[in-house]
Amino acid sequence: MEFGLWQVWEAGWVTAILRGASITILVGLVSMTAGLVIGVVCGLIKWARIFPLSLLVDAYTSLVRGVPELLIIYLLFFSSVEFVTKVVTAFGYAGVAESGYAFVIAVIAIGAISGAYSTEVVRGALGAIPDGHIEAARALGLSGGRIFRRIIAPQMLRIAVPGINNVWQTTIKDTALVSVVGLQELMRISFIGANSTRHPFIFYLIAAVVYLVITLVSQTGFDGIERLLRLRTRK
Amino acid sequence: MIDLIQLAVPVLLKGLWVTAVLTFISVLIGFNLGLGLALMRLSSNRFLSGFAKYYSNVFRGTPLLVQIFLFYYGLGQLSLIKDNAVLWWLISDGARCAVLALALNTAAYTSEILRGGLMSVPVGLVEAAQACGMSRMLRFRRIEFPLAIRQALPAYGNELILVVKGTSLASTITVLEITGYAKRLMSQTFAIFEIFAIAGVLYLVINLLLIGIIRAIERFLMRHETSSVRYLAAPQPNRSTVGS
Amino acid sequence: MKINKRGTSMKLKVLTLLACLAGSMGSALAAEGELSIGTEGAYPPWSMSDANGNVTGFDADVGALLCTKLGVTCHFVVQAFDGLIPALKAKRFDVIISGMSITADRKKEINFSVGYAELANTFVAAKGSDLAAITDVDTLLKSLDGKKVGVQAGTTHAHFLEKRAPNADLKTYDTLDQMQIDLASGRIDTAFADKSALQDFLDKPDGKNFQMVGVEIKSTFDPTLGEGIGVGIAQDNTELKAKIDKALCELIADGSVGKASQKWFKADISRPCK
Repeated sequence: MEFGLWQVWEAGWVTAILRGASITILVGLVSMTAGLVIGVVCGLIKWARIFPLSLLVDAYTSLVRGVPELLIIYLLFFSSVEFVTKVVTAFGYAGVAESGYAFVIAVIAIGAISGAYSTEVVRGALGAIPDGHIEAARALGLSGGRIFRRIIAPQMLRIAVPGINNVWQTTIKDTALVSVVGLQELMRISFIGANSTRHPFIFYLIAAVVYLVITLVSQTGFDGIERLLRLRTRK
Repeated sequence: MIDLIQLAVPVLLKGLWVTAVLTFISVLIGFNLGLGLALMRLSSNRFLSGFAKYYSNVFRGTPLLVQIFLFYYGLGQLSLIKDNAVLWWLISDGARCAVLALALNTAAYTSEILRGGLMSVPVGLVEAAQACGMSRMLRFRRIEFPLAIRQALPAYGNELILVVKGTSLASTITVLEITGYAKRLMSQTFAIFEIFAIAGVLYLVINLLLIGIIRAIERFLMRHETSSVRYLAAPQPNRSTVGS
Repeated sequence: MKINKRGTSMKLKVLTLLACLAGSMGSALAAEGELSIGTEGAYPPWSMSDANGNVTGFDADVGALLCTKLGVTCHFVVQAFDGLIPALKAKRFDVIISGMSITADRKKEINFSVGYAELANTFVAAKGSDLAAITDVDTLLKSLDGKKVGVQAGTTHAHFLEKRAPNADLKTYDTLDQMQIDLASGRIDTAFADKSALQDFLDKPDGKNFQMVGVEIKSTFDPTLGEGIGVGIAQDNTELKAKIDKALCELIADGSVGKASQKWFKADISRPCK
């Protein structure tokens, strides 16, 4: 009955948990990057009200934000979008398809969710840029591309940092949901450990602590970035 | 397709009811806990504010799924819990356990939202109320709380939607709510897309309804301001940051 | 021999890649001289997997026998049971070997090989409980009213109970392990599964206070329980079905499947091939 941290260590679960944590972070980072790309594109569309596209973006963000993440993941996974298999197999062979499959589904699902929230952050940040700045840049005869690069993007980035931090925290926590479809990330490993050793308490507790470490460390990182950007503006 | 809708909709509506009940009870408990935590956080007692801060960081820094599994499978394993009739009553049932996890989780987010609202109340107003001889309790009830809730409402609306979405995780601990029934229907009919689409629509309906209610309350609270253009779809995503 | 095989498989991989690029997918996996098998990996003693994804159990043995017979290499893909059929339809693997019963409903979605094994199902309940003392099916099913009954999601067991015990409070689990944890902790009153899986539970420390109910429910009792255990194959893959049927019949006839069954179940549950 006595089953403690020592047994977890002895049975080699620690390395498994660390491996799971690294996959969690990897899924989080890749999904977040994909989400940011989606966010910038969709955020710009929403902000500039590019007519037919903005409707699509609206539908996308309200759909993703109104439907449980778990349902989205189930839908994507069980309906097993055939093209995912095709894409993955096209890049290699069965081995890749097998191990890569759950990962690809995870990144598509979490990326789409993360992207919807990023869109709102980017849109909000763009909205916070004073119109006068853009008008002044236009009056100076700057091209659209330069206005974006020199005026819009830098300001948007600074304003968006706290929001992006929020999205990142949500994204990393949402990765736990892909465990239900079998990707061997932190939650899945804890699940397997809990079931096979019959000691769910210790395994889920460890999982909680590892997630907490990940979120607290990234929080500290974001605090640093915010401070850095604030200093720059003061100069 | 018609057959499928006839089969799925009544079953999923049964789930809708469970989802609604789970949300309602969790929010009811979570809001009050959250209010308590927000007040603790703002209190000058270092122990109280420290506890509230750690509570909030722990619950916001870990995934809800982990919390649900920790409560359901983890606590269910401990003899300490099993030997205590009250605790075992709470933990032994999937739905009650889900409510417990959801309520504790939303309390953490609610406390952050309400704290922000309370901090936004102008000091002058509180001082004026003090000068009028209002007691602390009266001041809170008549001045601070109404102003704070008005400020916090848009963010709280988002949090409510997150609770609705969070209830779907109850399906992982045997609760048959919308997602749980959807999964069962899926394995019976294999009409995966259709079933999950109908389930998704149900969630959207609940959430749109909630947004409507929150906006109506907001309009009511802001009736003194003629043209209020404060939107629920606030730009920042709802889950606020850890440790902030 | 081995090197040679690898060489061909490499060439085949290139060919497969080209085939993919040309847009004709077909069953790329089968073309490689490899049979990819979807299995649950959490249903002892049928299909178990460790943290590294190695699969063992009766189904793993059946898969290995089949692959040897067909002259291909086996490749197992672990996947939750209720996701196996959707995944097969999406061509994530070529076949399902996961203790899956052949049922009319499933046949609408996928094809099955001939049956290779036969299941006997029953309930487990706490030793000395009222349920444990019941000896006939009808009383048993009736006495489930209002009881919390654990069952695995998406299985014939779940479908059987949904139909025959509509007033039972059914709790469905993704894995058998979760169900057993809840059974041991007293959250559910009884659980329904096949005898071999339940025996596995009774042999664990968790199962020491439990016993099987003395009622065996064979698949002949109700068609929802299926017509034996078969290999699941995609509907459009008739060629593979013919090959697998032939190989399975040979393996059953020469006693290989029976031997594997003895190893895992201490009994021959293989189903004669008609």
